[in-house]
Amino acid sequence: MIAILVPLLFSILEFGAALERWLAQDAATVQAARYAGEIGGDGAEVRGLLAEQLRASGIDPGVATIEIAPARVGWREPVRVSVSTEYRVAIPFLFTTTLPIRSSAISRGEVNR
Amino acid sequence: MNAVRDDHASAAVTTVVLLPLLLTVLAGVLQLGALRVAAARVRAAADLATLVAVNDQDDAELSRTGSLRLAGDASDVAREYFERELELSEALLAASSSEIAAMADIAAYPSAPSVDARTGARYQRPAVRLAADVPVRTPVFGALAFHPVTTIGVLAVSSPR
Repeated sequence: MIAILVPLLFSILEFGAALERWLAQDAATVQAARYAGEIGGDGAEVRGLLAEQLRASGIDPGVATIEIAPARVGWREPVRVSVSTEYRVAIPFLFTTTLPIRSSAISRGEVNR
Repeated sequence: MNAVRDDHASAAVTTVVLLPLLLTVLAGVLQLGALRVAAARVRAAADLATLVAVNDQDDAELSRTGSLRLAGDASDVAREYFERELELSEALLAASSSEIAAMADIAAYPSAPSVDARTGARYQRPAVRLAADVPVRTPVFGALAFHPVTTIGVLAVSSPR
């Protein structure tokens, strides 16, 4: 009985936490994309903002893979920010696995170079 | 001793009998969570699309009168970026991003004040409004005799400052 109910309970908790993390990471990525458009691409400011937002959501920015492409955009050019992290899910009596969590957002360059 | 053994046996039987129900509830909860993520992504896509569209101003009008006026292609830009954003979540969608973006009701109000014909809202600044119905895959709901596709309605309005 325990071997059935405990995995069920942990599945709800673990996958719920994974979904919450996915939502938080998506929101941080959208903010970063907006900022990347504003400053014209990749930069320490964008990465700093993203790191701060991820940290506030309980995600270690040190283990996140961050890509901002292209690194430099001009007026009206699209810029894409992608963030990828891994989340470890452990269900007692059943399995332990790692879920990839990926977020991307596109904005448009606002700097007229 | 017999009573305790009977209790254990009946608890085990109850658990096994309820197992399909518990698994169904678990699957439904996870599907609802995934739907929430999809809804947040669709909302963010619409917000970003309208923001991008209003960030571009009619430069000639701005230098001539000093007032903000949207660029002539604002609604096209909103549609293009809505499609681009949705394309990033295509696996969650039940239709292609280009179809959804093409069907979206996007209106640009280049000068203010103006009244939105769809919502009746009054805009005190130039604005871009995007309204769309976005079909999202919900296969678990489908397996549970509900709809395998759930439509999320989204409305976003942005104005320059």
